[in-house]
Amino acid sequence: MTAVAPAAFQQSNVDYVAILPMLIVASAALVGVLVEAFAPRRRRHVIQVSLAVVGLLAAFAAVVWVAVDPNKVGHKGLTMGFTDGTTNHSVFALAIDGPALFMQGSIVLMGVLGILTMAERFGGVGPDAFTPSGASTPGSASESAAARAGALTSEVFPLTMFAIFGMMIFPTTNDLIGMFVALEVLSLPLYILSGLARRRRLLSQEASLKYFLLGAFSSAFFLFGTALLYGYAGSVYFGDLSKAVATGPLAMNGLLLPGAFLVFVGLLFKVGAVPFHAWTPDVYQGAPTPVTGFMAACTKAAAFGAILRLAYVGLDTARWEWTNAVVIVAILTMVVGSVLSVTQTDMKRLLAYSSIAHAGFILVGVLAFDRKGVGAVLFYLVAYGFSTIAAFGIVSLVRQNGGEATHLSQWAGLGKRYPLTAGAFAFLMLAFAGIPLTSGFVSKFGVFSAAIGTGGATGTTLAVIGVVCSAITVFVYARVIVLMFFSDAPDDAVEVVTPSMATTFSIAIGTLITLALGVLPSSLLDLADRASQFVR
Amino acid sequence: MSLSTAAYDIALSLPAGVTGLAPANDNPVADFSDTPWWVALIKAVGVFVYLLLSTLLVIWFERRVIGRMQQRPGPNRNGPFGLLQTLADGMKSMLKEDITPANADRIVYTTAPLIAATMAFVSFAIIPLGGTVSIFGHETPLQITDVPVAVLLVLAVASVGVYGIVLAGWSSGSTYPLLGGLRSTAQVISYEIAMGLSLVAIFLYSGSMSTSQIVAAQSSLWYILPAFFSFAVYVITMVGETNRLPFDLAEGEGELTGGFHTEYSAMRFAMFYLGEYVNMFTVSALATTMFLGGWQAPPFIAAIGDGALNGGWWGLLWFTIKLWMFMFFFVWLRGSLPRVRYDQFMRFGWRFLIPITLAWVVAVAFIRGAQLGFLGQGTFTIGGRELSVATVVIVSIVAVIALAAAWIWDDKRAEREAAAEFNPPEEIDPFEGGFPVPPLPGQRLREPSGLAVGSGAASREPVTSSVTSTLTSSPVKEETHG
Amino acid sequence: MSEPYVPILFMLGLGFAFAALSVFTSLVVGPKRYNRAKLEAYECGIQPSPQAAGGGRIPIKYYLTAMLFIVFDIESVFLYPFAVAFNKLGLFALVEMVLFILTVFVAYAYVWRRGGLDWD
Repeated sequence: MTAVAPAAFQQSNVDYVAILPMLIVASAALVGVLVEAFAPRRRRHVIQVSLAVVGLLAAFAAVVWVAVDPNKVGHKGLTMGFTDGTTNHSVFALAIDGPALFMQGSIVLMGVLGILTMAERFGGVGPDAFTPSGASTPGSASESAAARAGALTSEVFPLTMFAIFGMMIFPTTNDLIGMFVALEVLSLPLYILSGLARRRRLLSQEASLKYFLLGAFSSAFFLFGTALLYGYAGSVYFGDLSKAVATGPLAMNGLLLPGAFLVFVGLLFKVGAVPFHAWTPDVYQGAPTPVTGFMAACTKAAAFGAILRLAYVGLDTARWEWTNAVVIVAILTMVVGSVLSVTQTDMKRLLAYSSIAHAGFILVGVLAFDRKGVGAVLFYLVAYGFSTIAAFGIVSLVRQNGGEATHLSQWAGLGKRYPLTAGAFAFLMLAFAGIPLTSGFVSKFGVFSAAIGTGGATGTTLAVIGVVCSAITVFVYARVIVLMFFSDAPDDAVEVVTPSMATTFSIAIGTLITLALGVLPSSLLDLADRASQFVR
Repeated sequence: MSLSTAAYDIALSLPAGVTGLAPANDNPVADFSDTPWWVALIKAVGVFVYLLLSTLLVIWFERRVIGRMQQRPGPNRNGPFGLLQTLADGMKSMLKEDITPANADRIVYTTAPLIAATMAFVSFAIIPLGGTVSIFGHETPLQITDVPVAVLLVLAVASVGVYGIVLAGWSSGSTYPLLGGLRSTAQVISYEIAMGLSLVAIFLYSGSMSTSQIVAAQSSLWYILPAFFSFAVYVITMVGETNRLPFDLAEGEGELTGGFHTEYSAMRFAMFYLGEYVNMFTVSALATTMFLGGWQAPPFIAAIGDGALNGGWWGLLWFTIKLWMFMFFFVWLRGSLPRVRYDQFMRFGWRFLIPITLAWVVAVAFIRGAQLGFLGQGTFTIGGRELSVATVVIVSIVAVIALAAAWIWDDKRAEREAAAEFNPPEEIDPFEGGFPVPPLPGQRLREPSGLAVGSGAASREPVTSSVTSTLTSSPVKEETHG
Repeated sequence: MSEPYVPILFMLGLGFAFAALSVFTSLVVGPKRYNRAKLEAYECGIQPSPQAAGGGRIPIKYYLTAMLFIVFDIESVFLYPFAVAFNKLGLFALVEMVLFILTVFVAYAYVWRRGGLDWD
């Protein structure tokens, strides 16, 4: 018998402790699906919200627990893989390092606030922002029948949990395949969530379809890029990729640049960088407002986490090949985002363009290629995330005839009638603009100084453009503040509805963190700085 | 002696039983090294002719057997015993007008039957029909080819064959074919899942997807015994897959005329017919290969003359016999069972077959794991036989769960039946609802009280008012009955 | 034969040649008698509707079935290599596969309870 011995199967080493946060979130999502299947309709909302919040808080506790003692994770922070005994070649799917844990923790916390704003019911049976029957044609008889029958879409909570699960893997994954899976896991629930708005459903469905189609394209780009990089390096693991570039298989050099470019396209699409931003305004406007806030905060954080890992671990040695392209993208993103936000007349679109501009500022930090830059980006993502969830939370409260009043003219005079709400919103606007004593100032200062410090001439140019663009956006935000406080309310004035405790808490926390990070940023800056070391 | 040669010696001295328990690899055992391409082509032509002849024969066979079951002779005019009837039918359809409806999408309309017929043949390429024989001086297995993913290939080809049905339905530009095609597609893909899952148990036992390897692994024990449940599921699903009675919903005459091939005529219609029958042979051949030891002789015959009848061309005989047992089963089913309703059919597939097959696969995986010693190595001896503790424990757990599930299910069903039982009152008023109702068996008609004196005027009022009275009175009526 | 997949193409070619030849012969040999009514859709003799039901569009119910099919087909795709390599993978793979099947069952339970498996 001379049968060829089959390649030995080597079992993965899984550090269950290290992936505990993700396991908790995934199981909470699965339990949520079971709740949808078996719990009686009138209890579902309460069960789902508490399940999601408890699950996320438990996941956060697990993140902290893993983070306090990194030695708990074997293989120097890498897990879900093995080291080949003969060649001493390691393949690990997940990297539980500083940036990953920092991103996981902040995504989970921002997820809690997102869930709380989504849970707003205003006395109804189900979440107020979501249609009772997503599958029915807008305005059809079956839709009103579903509303009368007390249907509710509490599926949004498991969906959000699945999205958060994907977002937690996204910055953690150590290979391109895992990154793709995470990308899909986080994207698919978001496509559905964007199409579930209770009011202006056609707009919402249009947004969902646009997001889905463009997202599918970007995923395809990402996969093409993955294939090319695999062809180049013979491996999808970041460590191998980096090594392959360093040793340089010149025969395959033609694959490296297009591969890196396509992979970056897939990731930059998710953060809404120009020229891959076309979906952002439409989706931000059409999606249910709490979902928009959640997307703006958490998706951006997760995607930037992935970009950081790709740029600093996977393609770091190939930096000279792709940096210029990303620099151009960053400049375009800042300029287009801030200039176009000037012309917006819809509050949600304005915030969408503002988020595009912020993506550009964060890219400046990424391009610093330095630990300091990583720390600054991490800080920026947290600061911006909490502010934006609070901002969209407030947008969802300003209403006219039951629906959200998002046109800028409808906000006129809001400050005179609802000084507290308008004040909080104005403060968040100042944070977006980067005025001192807000978190926005500290985060912008962080990324620009990192860029100037280690980015050389390019970094300085980027920082200068960034400051100019910030100045442009100041004008936009100032206009909103002036509109709210110094113009007269129209006759058919909007009202600010009184939200539940949960939403109030979420908005208050978001605003307070914006303030706290502006006044006393040192502890989080310190934490971000300590968390800025990637393992490989 | 170096270390490597020592290992080689040990490998040589391994008893055959060890490899029988755990196949060394998942590659085909059939040896095609002495098979030039032209021999493969000859074998392909041979199998093709075999299939065409079998189809001609099976249609006659089906009509004769059905005839017997329905106490009539069946076709008996063309040729001896009517054997040439199918050939005559084929000639006839050749000479008929081939109509393409005005609404049809011409290209797709023509392609669909070609897909259906072509794909039906492909799967047979990997079915082992017999042992190793000599063809023109070349020692070659009686099998066109074998690949490590052979069974997967069969399933893949079956999936492509579905295109023939769905495209035929869509391209006809007519309502009945569209609905028939959709139904048929939904049916085939629904049952394909259960079919695919039932085969997982076989792969667990054989450790291979290559058909020749699976047949070889059954030399001591046919998989119908350890995987009896898979066999049952497979047989049910293969009937669903081939759109045969009692699952031929796609062509339910009473509902959809001819289903997806309503608009087809002449040879394009005959191609669907051919495809359906060849598909029957394909699924039966797969069942033979997977569960009934393929071409191997039944154990008692295999014992004759030290396996003289178990190999070579003899295999073709055993294979054909097993194949035709399945064909008879198909015909028998058609003669015995009425067509099921579409919703019953889909519910049976999705709510019963799929979950229970998955559970079965998990159970087999555990049993197999226990046999391979994944769950502990402890053994004990009963009556001179050494038994593995883990195996016994797992088998008992599975048996207990199965019994409990069956018990609960039976209870539930009895409950449902009790709830569904409707006891009609002994006496009914035929005009209670406003229009006359005949009594059920055993019911007494209430005397038309006071009808003569005119208090029953309500029943003679105009129709509209009696309808309203029906509506208002119906809840009360249900209460008295329930 | 060094390439085991080639004979499959023989079979494919034979099947296609036979089918195409039969259809072609029938087209040549068979009669052609034009009749407008013959070219209309068959609806048991009544005046046929101008196009297939729903304009030839497929009811959404079938898409749901198709998506469920894909979910379970993917499950099979994972189960097959697992089953083939079972004796090499050991207990770890067995446990993982049970977890995987349970996860799919969660979705299955949801679909069932929400009426995705009702056909009427």
